Amino acid sequence: MVQDFGNTTASNGSDATSFSLKLRAEPLELSWHHCGVTSDFIGEYFSRACRQGIDPVDARHSISYMINEILENAVKFRHGGDVELVSSLEDDRFEIRIMNQIDDETAEKFQGHLTLLMEREPGELLLERIEENALNPDSSGSGLGLLTLMSDYGAKLGWSFASERVSEGVELTTFASLRLS
Amino acid sequence: MEISTNDYRVWTEGSTIHYEGTMRLSGTDAYAPILEIMNSILSSKPEIITLDLTGLEFLNSSGINLLAKFTIEIRKQPEVGVRVLGSKSIPWQSKSLRNLQRLHPALELTIS
Repeated sequence: MVQDFGNTTASNGSDATSFSLKLRAEPLELSWHHCGVTSDFIGEYFSRACRQGIDPVDARHSISYMINEILENAVKFRHGGDVELVSSLEDDRFEIRIMNQIDDETAEKFQGHLTLLMEREPGELLLERIEENALNPDSSGSGLGLLTLMSDYGAKLGWSFASERVSEGVELTTFASLRLS
Repeated sequence: MEISTNDYRVWTEGSTIHYEGTMRLSGTDAYAPILEIMNSILSSKPEIITLDLTGLEFLNSSGINLLAKFTIEIRKQPEVGVRVLGSKSIPWQSKSLRNLQRLHPALELTIS
């Protein structure tokens, strides 16, 4: 069974500059540090492939910020297994898919969160979430990553949950796209 | 007061808090020592607190949460003013710092 949320269609075609990477769970031991290094590397790679008229500093930062936030979630919530990234750039559109495994409980919780996210304006929800975090000193995560991407970066995001492709739990694919300027 | 690592440095000068480098810590707990420095400046109740972010190249969303949380703490104390200094050449600052002003309209934001 596959369940989709948000924007899960890709626009970039076969002419796009593309790049794939697999972060192997073993033997490197995926860690927090890999998120920053990986996202900086891909940001740097695509900022050099941008066409004229696109600000490479902004492109490098925006791509890096977007990947870092999604990858931090993938590393934080993954249930074993590798993390795969497939990215592409065509004209001014950067797209990425990040795949990782999560367990059933995390999938259910995240789907509830996404249903709420899809119903509201991200800028309003971002401020609401910040106020909630300030009132709750025990909350360990901020929950702001996806909201800042949608609200501050104008990113289009989508999520696909597939339970048949993996032997245990759910394969989560996060789709993200960004219009570079 | 100062916290210094290979990736970032946070230090205070009077009631100014400076941030430099790349901050991508894993969550509220990891950011707690930095919040502690910030709160210690607030507890001295200066007329104005300056957050100088002009050297902070990268901040993840948990770090943005830290700045937002602190802004709300300052908002509770109307006698303490707050000024945030950012840089136009660092993209995340133009994109995300205006949220602090939406949380606390008296916050003075300068991105130059």
